[in-house]
Order: sequence, then C-alpha cells, then structure tokens
Amino acid sequence: MKLITATPWGVYSVWWRHFQVYCSTWLVNCLPPISEPIVYLLAFGYGLTPLIGDVEYLGQMVPYSRFLAPGMIAIGVLFQSFFEGAYSSFIRLNFQKTWQALLTAPLSYTDVFLGDWFWAATKGAIAGTLTGLVAVVVNLYDLSSLVLSLPLIGLGSLLFGAFGLLVAGAVNKVDQVNVPIFLVIIPMFTLCGTYFPRDTLPPLLARFASFLPLASLVDLLRWPLGLPSWWPLLLLWLIGWTAVMARLAALRIYPRLFS
Amino acid sequence: MSDGLSLTAYDLWKTYGNEAVVQGISFTLAPGEIVGLLGPNGAGKTTTVGMLFGTVIPTRGFVQFGPWQLPGQGQMARAQMGIVTQEDNLDPDFTVFKNLTHFAHHYRITGAAARQRAGELLALVNLEHRADAQVDDLSGGMKRRLVLARALLNEPRIVFLDEPTTGLDPDARQDFWRLVQHLKAKGCGILLTTHYMDEAQRLCDRLLLLQAGKVIDEGTPTDLVARVIGREVAEVEGVDPDRLKTLAANYGAWYRAFGSGHLVTLPSDKAEAVWSQIEAHHPSRLLRRPANLEDVFLRLTGSVLE
Repeated sequence: MKLITATPWGVYSVWWRHFQVYCSTWLVNCLPPISEPIVYLLAFGYGLTPLIGDVEYLGQMVPYSRFLAPGMIAIGVLFQSFFEGAYSSFIRLNFQKTWQALLTAPLSYTDVFLGDWFWAATKGAIAGTLTGLVAVVVNLYDLSSLVLSLPLIGLGSLLFGAFGLLVAGAVNKVDQVNVPIFLVIIPMFTLCGTYFPRDTLPPLLARFASFLPLASLVDLLRWPLGLPSWWPLLLLWLIGWTAVMARLAALRIYPRLFS
Repeated sequence: MSDGLSLTAYDLWKTYGNEAVVQGISFTLAPGEIVGLLGPNGAGKTTTVGMLFGTVIPTRGFVQFGPWQLPGQGQMARAQMGIVTQEDNLDPDFTVFKNLTHFAHHYRITGAAARQRAGELLALVNLEHRADAQVDDLSGGMKRRLVLARALLNEPRIVFLDEPTTGLDPDARQDFWRLVQHLKAKGCGILLTTHYMDEAQRLCDRLLLLQAGKVIDEGTPTDLVARVIGREVAEVEGVDPDRLKTLAANYGAWYRAFGSGHLVTLPSDKAEAVWSQIEAHHPSRLLRRPANLEDVFLRLTGSVLE
C-alpha cells in the first residue's frame, strides 16, 4: 500500500458525513448507550451486590457496584466502537459503496480510512462517556474521575474501532462478522475483569484474559479504586494494540478499493 | 468550466495475474471534447476509467491531467474532475438535496454556498421537485441524473461517465444525453464509456474502439463508419450464403452471416449494382440501411456489442 498523505479537512469531512447520519436519528442512537448501562447497573448492581457484598480488588475490599461501574464503561466503549467499525463500515464498504463514492471526491484513502476509524471511535467514546455519566448519577464513579478517564475512553474506542475495521476488511459476508464476535468479543466481554475480578479465574484462564486488551482498559478505568504498579505497561500495551490493529485494518481494506 | 485542462493517457497497461485487461491505451481528451470508449462488456472500459481517476493503479503507464500526474496525484486531480461511476453509490442515509450538500462538504463547499450549488444542480438535472425525496424512492433515470449532479458540484474541468445510461428507458437516456451536451457546450471535457452504439454515435466527437483491452481503431464516428464499412449495408435473409459470398467477393464488398440472415456492404461506387444483384436472388427479407458503428464493430472484431 502506498502511503498517501491525509488532509485534516478530508478526515474531518468524512467523519462529519457519518456524524450527520448519526444526528439524523440521534435519539435512537443515544438510547442504547444510556439504557444498556442503566439496565446492567440496576440488574447487577442491585441484584448481585446484596449477594456478593464487597469484592477484593488489588488487596482491598470495594463495594461490588463500584467495582462494576468501570467495567460497564469499558463494555460500552468495546461494543459501540467495534460494531460501528465492523458492521457499519462493512455496509458502507460493500453495500452502500460509500467509501467508493467518497473516493470520487478529492479525498485520499487515508482520509476516508481515518474518517471512518475516528467515527467508530467517536461512537465508542459517546457510549463510554454516557455510561460513565449514568455511573456518576448513581454515585458509582466520580465526575472528576470520569473527566480524567476520558483519554482512556478515547484510546479504548480507537483500539476497538480499529479492530472493527479490520474485521470489516477481512470478511466477505456480513454474517462472518459473528466469528470474531464469538471468538474474541464475547470472551473479552465476559472474562476481562468487567463483572468480576480475574483473580477468581483458574490461573491459566486469568493469564489469557489479562492478555486481551479489554483487560488493560478495564484495569486502567478502575484507577479510582487503585492501579497495579505496572500500569504504564498496560497503557503501552493498549497503544501497541491500537497501532497494530489500525495498520492491519488499513492494509485489509485498501485492496477492496484499489486494484 | 471555461479554463479547460487536457487529459492524456500514456501507454496504460493493467494486468491481473497473467491476464492483461488493458494493453497500451494512449489518447488525449481535450477541453470541450467528448471521447467515447466503445466496446463490449469485459473490453477494459471501466478499468481504463479507473486508471484515469486513480482507483485502478496502472501496471505500466500514467495519466497526465493538467499539472497533475496520476495515480500519484489523484487526490489533487480529482478536485477538478467529476466522476459518474457505473454503480449508483448515492447515500441512502440522506435525501436528494442532502446528498448534494453533504458531498459538497468534501470540496470545502459548505453552508449557504453548498445549498445554493445543490439547488442549481437539481434544477439543471430537473430534480428540484424531488429535493426532499429519499434516494431509494427515485427511478433509475433520476438516480443517474443525481449522480451526475453530484459529479458537477465542483464545476469540474473534465467528467467521466462510465456507462451512464445502462438500464435506462429511452426517455431517461434522452434526458441524460441533453445534459452531456450541455456540459460539452460549457467547455467540459467528457470521457464516456458505453456499449450503446447510438449513444456513441450521437454524443462522441471521437471514439476509441476497445476489444480485449486494446484500442483496435479510433476516429470520429462518421469517419470510422465510412472508412471501415462505407455508406450503406444490406440485411438479407433467405438467400444461399455461398451465392452471397460470391456476389460480395465479385464487387469487393464485405459479407458476414448475422443472426438469421446476412450483412452485405454496398460499396459507394457499386451500391446499385450490388443491390440489384441481391434483389435478383428474391430474398425473403431485404433491408437497405445506412451503415453504423455496430457494423464497424462487427467487421473489426467479429462480434457484436453487448
């Protein structure tokens, strides 16, 4: 793939197109990231907290609902950015031919790719932030902590948005998107310390779960409860995953547009 | 669209594996000129157009458009190009009007300027009454006109029309042709690919006939017909082919089996003699008509345009 310079206007213009589509049905689009965490926090927070009480996290006991809230933020980031990158970009690439239309304008491949990627990340960031606000409202996450966590939400959204785009570029049929969902997304969603500390898993499984990038994001988002001493490595791990995913995604999509 | 820019293709080749789908195509498109790439499906027309605006990377050769060389400077070149691709890739998420205003944003045309330009173009393509319609509710002809309007947002110096009227009814095709002629009158260079001979004959100043990725002949439609076929052709049915072959050979005419009958050219200096000889065989059907590009293609390639 030949490196083509992106222009700030080009990237913004592609992102803006997706944002306009989102705005045209903004109420419907905002519903899932608000309703989903409310339902989960109510169900797990109120339902399981009396049964579980406190959980041990980094050597201290914390209320289960406060443990759960950062996990919910990470899940919001994961689902919204991944699904936008995978399903919506696949549809824009293969059914609506939006990418092909954009490339008849004075936009480079890099403009279109970055615009799509940043939009997927924006959707993840919106979901993560709205989930965080719900957690703030029910007093499970401090507002100041949420503000300080925004860069982490952004980084996680870029990572899973890039993974979604890689899937969109790798599959030939929309149903095949289910394969990475069941092989990667669901295991991450359940095992990475979102709903329970990974220490309770068998050692081998816990190690595997810690390797997955959502684990690093959840651990970092849980910083108000404490951070492991190697947290800078977690941050680097996330940045590394993001760079690799974005590069692979760009390489997979390019041949679908240029021959 | 007054300051024209020329486009020149230099020895374009495109190979996929061992298959060469475009082989050494070179030509120049001048401002205000309509050049047609005429050929059957699979002749390499769309691949050639892709190389001209930068989505197909040539295996060899390059394109010079004004000061820009493609594929390397495709992004800058496309700022002065209008591109109507073969497939409709309008945005189903937006109305007709917003398809234009949102696409104008990519050219840095925004706000009131974008709305004004969209209004002008919808009026040009006779779609102003459908401005608030959803794209999916448009007919095929309306969609093609809207794609053309979108390609004109930036007042391009050159427009690529890749099979723009495929699948349209005769009225819609006439509407589209009128728009193409309007663009030419404004000084816009136009590259048209088509497999409709009437479209090529009606619109194009110059034609490149393509077969298997190669230009097999080129010229104005009138010159091509006159040079390759002559002025008139007889369509004959119900006559022994061997007799017709002999007759054609005797008069230096071209003969070919075609459908359930035969074609025989009527050489200008011996047209009446050949015609009366054919009539003397009492064919079951006999038609004398002007020669056309279909005949040219049939003679040059042995196949019809499909």
